[in-house]
Amino acid sequence: MTESYENAEERVIRTLKGRKALFRMVSDIAKNRRGLSILVISVITTAVAGTFIPLTIGEAVNSVNNRSITGVILFASIFLGLAMVQFASNRFRAISSTEVSQKTVKDMRDNAFKSIHKVPVSFFSIVKSGFLISRITNDGETIGDFLTFQIPQVVSGFTTVIMSIAIMLYLDFNLTLYALIVLPFLSLFTISLQGKVRANYLKTRKTIAAITGNLAENIGSVRSIKAFNVERYVEERFDGLNEENLRANIKASRLSSFYGAVVRVIEFLGIVIVIYAGALQLQSSLISIGILVAFIFYVQEFFDPVIQLSQLYNAYQSSIVGAGRIYGIIDSEKEEVPEGSRDKEDFTTDLSLKDVDFTYGMGDTLKEINMEIKRGDKIGIVGHTGAGKTTLSNLILKLYLPKDGEIDLDLVNTKLIMTKSYRDIIVPVLQEPFLFRGSIYENVRIAKKSATDEEIREKAKEFGLSRIFSRLPDGMETDVGELGRNLSEGQKQAIAILRALIREPDIIIMDEPTSNIDPFSERDIFMSLGKFAKNRTLILITHRFSMISLVDKIAVVDAGRIVENGTFEQLMEKKGLFYNMYNILYGKTDSDPL
Amino acid sequence: MSHNNFFSKITGVLQPLIFSLKYLKGKRWIIYILIISAALSTASRLYVPIVIGLIIDSLEAKAFSAILPAIELIMLLAGVSAVSTFITNFGSQYSSQIYAYNLRKKLVNSLTKKKVKFFQGNSSGDLLSRTTMDVDATRNFLMNTLSQLIPTIMIIIFALIYLSFLNFFYALFFLFTVPVLVYIGIIFQRKQRKHWMNIRKQYGEMTERLQEDINGQRTVRTYSLEDSQIAKFQDTTDSYFNEYMEIAHLRGFYNNLMPFIISLAATGVILYGGYTSIIARSQVGNLVAAVNIFNLVTMPISFLGRLIVWSENARAGIGRINEVLKDDMDEELTTSGNFPGENDVELRNIKIIKGKKEIISNLNMKIPRGGFVCITGETGCGKSSIVNLIPRLEEPTAGEVFIGGIDVREIPLDTLRKNVSIVPQEINLLSGTIEENIIFGRSAISHEAVIKAAKIARIDDFIDSLEDGYETLIGERGLTLSGGQRQRMAIARAIVTTPSILILDDVTSSVDPETELNIFSEIVKNVKGITVILVSLRYSAMKYSNETYIIKDGQAEILEDLESLDIFGYGDSR
Repeated sequence: MTESYENAEERVIRTLKGRKALFRMVSDIAKNRRGLSILVISVITTAVAGTFIPLTIGEAVNSVNNRSITGVILFASIFLGLAMVQFASNRFRAISSTEVSQKTVKDMRDNAFKSIHKVPVSFFSIVKSGFLISRITNDGETIGDFLTFQIPQVVSGFTTVIMSIAIMLYLDFNLTLYALIVLPFLSLFTISLQGKVRANYLKTRKTIAAITGNLAENIGSVRSIKAFNVERYVEERFDGLNEENLRANIKASRLSSFYGAVVRVIEFLGIVIVIYAGALQLQSSLISIGILVAFIFYVQEFFDPVIQLSQLYNAYQSSIVGAGRIYGIIDSEKEEVPEGSRDKEDFTTDLSLKDVDFTYGMGDTLKEINMEIKRGDKIGIVGHTGAGKTTLSNLILKLYLPKDGEIDLDLVNTKLIMTKSYRDIIVPVLQEPFLFRGSIYENVRIAKKSATDEEIREKAKEFGLSRIFSRLPDGMETDVGELGRNLSEGQKQAIAILRALIREPDIIIMDEPTSNIDPFSERDIFMSLGKFAKNRTLILITHRFSMISLVDKIAVVDAGRIVENGTFEQLMEKKGLFYNMYNILYGKTDSDPL
Repeated sequence: MSHNNFFSKITGVLQPLIFSLKYLKGKRWIIYILIISAALSTASRLYVPIVIGLIIDSLEAKAFSAILPAIELIMLLAGVSAVSTFITNFGSQYSSQIYAYNLRKKLVNSLTKKKVKFFQGNSSGDLLSRTTMDVDATRNFLMNTLSQLIPTIMIIIFALIYLSFLNFFYALFFLFTVPVLVYIGIIFQRKQRKHWMNIRKQYGEMTERLQEDINGQRTVRTYSLEDSQIAKFQDTTDSYFNEYMEIAHLRGFYNNLMPFIISLAATGVILYGGYTSIIARSQVGNLVAAVNIFNLVTMPISFLGRLIVWSENARAGIGRINEVLKDDMDEELTTSGNFPGENDVELRNIKIIKGKKEIISNLNMKIPRGGFVCITGETGCGKSSIVNLIPRLEEPTAGEVFIGGIDVREIPLDTLRKNVSIVPQEINLLSGTIEENIIFGRSAISHEAVIKAAKIARIDDFIDSLEDGYETLIGERGLTLSGGQRQRMAIARAIVTTPSILILDDVTSSVDPETELNIFSEIVKNVKGITVILVSLRYSAMKYSNETYIIKDGQAEILEDLESLDIFGYGDSR
């Protein structure tokens, strides 16, 4: 019945795997044609210039042997010229590699960010924010480094090997074969270790991810850890993970160090073979000393690219995984905008729910909901926790769409109203108010960009909210802190209310707007809400009966259905669910247990 | 540049190394071994060109018989080089991992010792990046210092020694480059420092924007803020990109200048060596050896630039790590003492000042043993701060807190918190099973006790309805609980140890009043003699309590007659 988190996430984020992610990334990189051409040209230029250096040195040696001073000067100048070419082309390489890779990463991040604003809201109930954030930030970094440093190195490595072999072949065919003898051994050795290298690498990734997850949790839970006096427990949990990570890393580095040592031996072997074979050829006067010198330099030179290629795997693997994940976010299914959708200017007659059914996936959350809300109506929706009240407000706000039935605004199915225009008409005060970093002013201003501090202050006063903020050190200038941590729940909610008020919507929908505000401030808010709602439509969701006098009609929700309907008096007379709930809260002990 | 300045810059680059030695206690011998192995490794590697030079000379002299012993020598050098390379690579990774292990352990240890206040001043994302990214940056530097910087220094030393054996003037050419390289390195470092700092800042900004945007999606959507959020995010990624480009431009110039300087010197050697060889009609082997040595030196030296970048990152990281390691925000640990036999609580002349505001001016409160007391008051009046004083999660600016007549500061912190259970407003569940979350790491709690606590907190029915019951995974990768379920989990967690004082800081706001009252009466029924302190705004909860304190103008007064509350909404609303 319950699906694992990984499966659920995979359902909404379709992570691209392996080669698909690589191809997608390559095609993204290729979009920056100019940068990419400069990069490729500069990398190849550097590598080609590099491969001519041993040849030049060899020729310089020959010139010395031939007692030709002009030859020495000529080849020394060529040597210097090649170094200058490398200096210049490397400069272009450094700049263009950063440009190409960081631009690619930036676009990936921007697109992922755009995408999360177009996915259905249900996306966020499945994907945890921590994973989403680390994909966009961490994985992006990994890709950036990989593209900036590793990819140019691969291109340059290949170019060096190919060019070196070509020049060697041109110089002397036989000696080239001798020089290349070690290459198959090197390759075989490298490939034979890959399986183990991969397993080791995955283990180190897994253990470090566990450490990060554990730390995030501990830091976030510090209050509970302190309150329950379990510092030791937390430390022990962490120590275990820390040790596993240490072991995994030591194992991985033992193997990679062993590899490095063996490669060193193979490299020396290659040099020895060239010297021996070269000496024999020199003996039979088939080659000059200079050519032998050049060969010795070449053999030393193509070991670096091969070693680099073998070390590429880890970086390649983690950036491909990272890229696949970011593409998964970019590709996740968007909320569809049905054909024929149009803007809606205002609200004239009524908002009606017709046979609305809804489920989050398991069981029915709402069933056969029918409601008719006329312009100017003040409706209360009450019921126990979990009855479906908040779900109902989510549907009215178009955060979710009904599974069956429809919600109409002035007889137009809200599905067909452009969401943006719909949200100018209807504005919520959500149950868990969310604050952005910045001052209280800035937080209110999100609802109306043009609002001045003065206007916000006035509004707060008008609605009796100033008192709540007056306690703060800097009044409404106070920085609310990360996620509003500098404020109390009540203060946060007051901001959420102020936001809704300043937007002056036609319909205002409030979901437990005062659940954390003390009864003292509540009265102020309450009075002004009454004033504000006068010419507007109000939908109030609450289990606090103190707010009931604001509304004309009440719908009682229980287990996803509307079970009672009517005015306060009618419902009290009915002695049903509403009557019972009211009595429990206000202490009439004769209430029947439900 | 004065000498002092110059040296301080050089030691500045090495500062992270000195820092890391602290976390390699008992393993410092590895560093000495690594220095020796780096010396052996480079000495043997650089000796190969000299042997090759000798071979060239022999070949020139047609003395082919001299080749075999030379080749044997090269293979011997290969053996030495391979072993020392292994030691260098493995040793540097080993010690850097040990370092990271010890540092992380120490960091977690320091974090758990900190006052709650510390976490109010630092965002959790920031603390997380200090314990992960910054540790990694310093580890990376240590590893690269040991595996590359020390070998590079050795290469420079041995190159000089060998070159001076080959020809005094060859060595001189090389010697000229060293100060130039160091100078370039210092300028490079100075120029890019600012940009690296900005990159870190922008990265943090990016993370925070994401966090804010994702957590506030509903607000973003219902207020149609999508476009402005996207624009803000793109601003951040733009600045991030621009900083990287600035660094790329610097890297493009300075980092490539280093190998170019070497090439310049090598050109000098070819010209000078070629000329003198021709004049003196000497053999060419020495020249080949010298050029080969220059060639081998270029690669490691071009890495110097990257090492400087790593050092920069590591230094920034150390600064941030040190802020966590500092002990000025540690909780004071009281020495010996027992928890008092009685569980009445008294707050005497309490004053709390936060920032510039006096929240509580002179508060006195007496909570009798076995009492059930409610604290209420306007939003932001300091209710939470007051109850936090009891288990010393906060300290008053002035005044004392007594339990059973004993000042809480005289009770060891762990004893105090073992006996005073507080359920904070912000509820944290760890990833693990439901049972693990209720036990929460405290020893000797039976499964039966867990079930009993769940029953009291009225969460047992919900848990039983789950397929895996108490073994159900929750947290990051598990089941997500609703607000009310989380609150009830937290109550179960607090009550499972049968504390003698229980503080509920408005933790039933998402539980409906009926269930709430049930929970209260179950607690009182099941934990004999428990003192319960409740922070609540609910009329029904106040009515249930023996006594209700109201916080007003920084003081506490007993609310004598609840009905008299002249507050709209408390009595009959119609």
